Amino acid sequence: MNRFSANRLTPYLFMAPAALVMLLALFYPIAYMIWGSFRSWDPSQSITETDFVGLANYMKLLADPAFHESFWVTLVFAFSVVSVEMVLGVGLALLLDRKIRGMSLLRTLFILPMMIAPVVVGLVWRYMFHQTYGTFNRMLDAVGLPRVDWLGQNPLLSVIIADIWQWTPFIFILSLAALQSLPRSALEAARIDGATPLQQIWHVKLPLMAPVLIVTLLLRLIDAFKVLEVILVLTGGGPGLQTEILALRIARTAREFRELGEAAAMSNMLLMLLMVLTLGMFAFTRWQEARARRLRFTNQEES
Amino acid sequence: MLTTLRNSTIIATLALGTAALAQDGPYAPYAGTTLVVNFPSHPHYNAVMEVLPEFTAQTGINVEVDMLPYLDMRERQTLELTLNEGAYDLIAYVVFSKADYVYADQLENLAKYFMNPRLADPNFDAKDIIDGYLQNIGVAGGEKGYLPGPTGSLFGLPFGSETSVLFYRSDIFEKHGLSVPDTYDELLELACSIPELEPGMGGVASRAASGHQAAHAFLLHLAPLGGRVFDDAWQPRINDAQGVAAAEALKRIVDCGPEGSSAFGPAEAANAFSQGQAAMFLDTIAYAPNLEDSSRSAVAGNVGYAMHPMGVTRASQTGGFGLGIPANAENKEAAFLLMQWLTSKEGDLAVAMAGGNPSRFSTYANEELNAQYPWSATFGAALEYADPDWRPIIPAWGRINADIGTTLSQVLTQGVDIQEALDGIAARTQTLMEEQGYYIWD
Repeated sequence: MNRFSANRLTPYLFMAPAALVMLLALFYPIAYMIWGSFRSWDPSQSITETDFVGLANYMKLLADPAFHESFWVTLVFAFSVVSVEMVLGVGLALLLDRKIRGMSLLRTLFILPMMIAPVVVGLVWRYMFHQTYGTFNRMLDAVGLPRVDWLGQNPLLSVIIADIWQWTPFIFILSLAALQSLPRSALEAARIDGATPLQQIWHVKLPLMAPVLIVTLLLRLIDAFKVLEVILVLTGGGPGLQTEILALRIARTAREFRELGEAAAMSNMLLMLLMVLTLGMFAFTRWQEARARRLRFTNQEES
Repeated sequence: MLTTLRNSTIIATLALGTAALAQDGPYAPYAGTTLVVNFPSHPHYNAVMEVLPEFTAQTGINVEVDMLPYLDMRERQTLELTLNEGAYDLIAYVVFSKADYVYADQLENLAKYFMNPRLADPNFDAKDIIDGYLQNIGVAGGEKGYLPGPTGSLFGLPFGSETSVLFYRSDIFEKHGLSVPDTYDELLELACSIPELEPGMGGVASRAASGHQAAHAFLLHLAPLGGRVFDDAWQPRINDAQGVAAAEALKRIVDCGPEGSSAFGPAEAANAFSQGQAAMFLDTIAYAPNLEDSSRSAVAGNVGYAMHPMGVTRASQTGGFGLGIPANAENKEAAFLLMQWLTSKEGDLAVAMAGGNPSRFSTYANEELNAQYPWSATFGAALEYADPDWRPIIPAWGRINADIGTTLSQVLTQGVDIQEALDGIAARTQTLMEEQGYYIWD
């Protein structure tokens, strides 16, 4: 009995140190942030010297119109960029998934924007949107159209354009990898059955790519909710609060307002939102897989 | 006899040694010490770097400089100042850090150093230091907590401080026979007539970007137009007639400014002026060397300098950097000697000659400096009116500043009504001040 117990315990004992390190490395900072969110915490104080304020930081945020606006801007930004990037990225992957001369060079060129540091992207786009010298307004000048005050009057659209430029390649590269790993037999079967290219995409390729696309969507969505540098450089969150996404408000609350407790509370709220989104997305994936299994089972029974 | 001789020799040697030590001066006990200082990456401190070897040669005290971009500097200092033993012996802090550092007891009160005859230079001449700078950067605990007064103390010395002046295009003014504006009425009238006289050119280049920049630009007009953020009882008065006038002035300046003004930070505004897109530029003196550098500025040689225009009063801004000794510094006395040496008449002049911003009236009056930098005399005159209270320096300021900046940005870009915007700021500021405990004595 003892020997049996010892055998069962041995692997866990061997794993314990690594697991402990992992747990500490993963969860200690999160626990620290959660603990900090219940305290009135100034950066000139150690967290142990701070006062416990319960849910005050959370209540303050819920009543703060500036936080509401940041939250709304974040939602609009994240869902806009991710939906456009998904359509463009998957579309480009479908277009470029073929054997043409020079295609590998073209694919490499397509993924260049995501290799550039976000701060540089922000700077480059800031000059491209410049009212006088900017590329876009010079193009408008050339065709006789009136100039646009990109960063003053259309700031959210401007940051959305810059983000789409940088991150569409991320969707493209993962979608292309998914496309190229699809079972050729399924595509062959569809072709032999007389499916048009559009039908092949809609009924075969996209459903088979679905698991990869969902993970891609999730990763991109999480990232879009946390984007900071490009917006910081491009608009600084303005004009007004028009582009002050949550990540920027969190940074400002901690650095400029010196309210670490409130910044931690905001981070936790963002974390909770992303967890709900992630869990929802996984639940949806599981539901889809279960539905597909049920359909297969029903089809087998009928045949 | 031999014993007496030996004792006499010992006494004589000791006396000679003491005399030699006395002759070595105040720096001798600290020779060989290495000071670690934290300076911002800024034209003034670039000039300081040229002067520091002279300090080491004169004193034997070595200086190791940790130079950081000034926005990162504050974060690094916040971390270092909270430790039991900090890395820095001397820091240059941004003016609005004064409140946070003094409130957290992280800066040395300089009284005990100026009282110490071994350390205090009798020729330091503190009266010569620009008063507005000294009050704004160095003093805390007096009136309102951040100004001088019977309960005030000195926590830092201004070094790399700045004020505001009006830069203008002398060639454009000459071409159209315009007078340099001396009042706000003249400034605002010219701001909108320039685009008519010179199509494609804006009137005044100004900061206006959301957040700190718009708040800074608004406050620049608020003090000369007779306004303040708070009254003496800490009630916000930003939404009174003077506040509205300052916001209207800013809006008029931005509306008649160069294209894209509403997104300008200080660098963009300076760039617009230096590239000939604006006839005037109202901002800090720190931009003068760049505007006169023909490799960077298309208007070099055609820049005129005038006092910050007068509203109901004349009031130029005060800001920039000061030097302070962290409470957790290892070599405080040697750090004081370095601070005193840099801010002395000789140190201030040497740094100014290398391109820094003077902190002393005598430096601005120096003929050699005025020959090298022709704009210096105007800057010195502007500093007679430097207003240390143009912006409150209290711990809650970061949040109020951000609110002013984002709300005024909405006025400038989204057509929000000025009175409504300022009323909103006043109401939110009052709530914040109440949370901070400002009204419990009422």
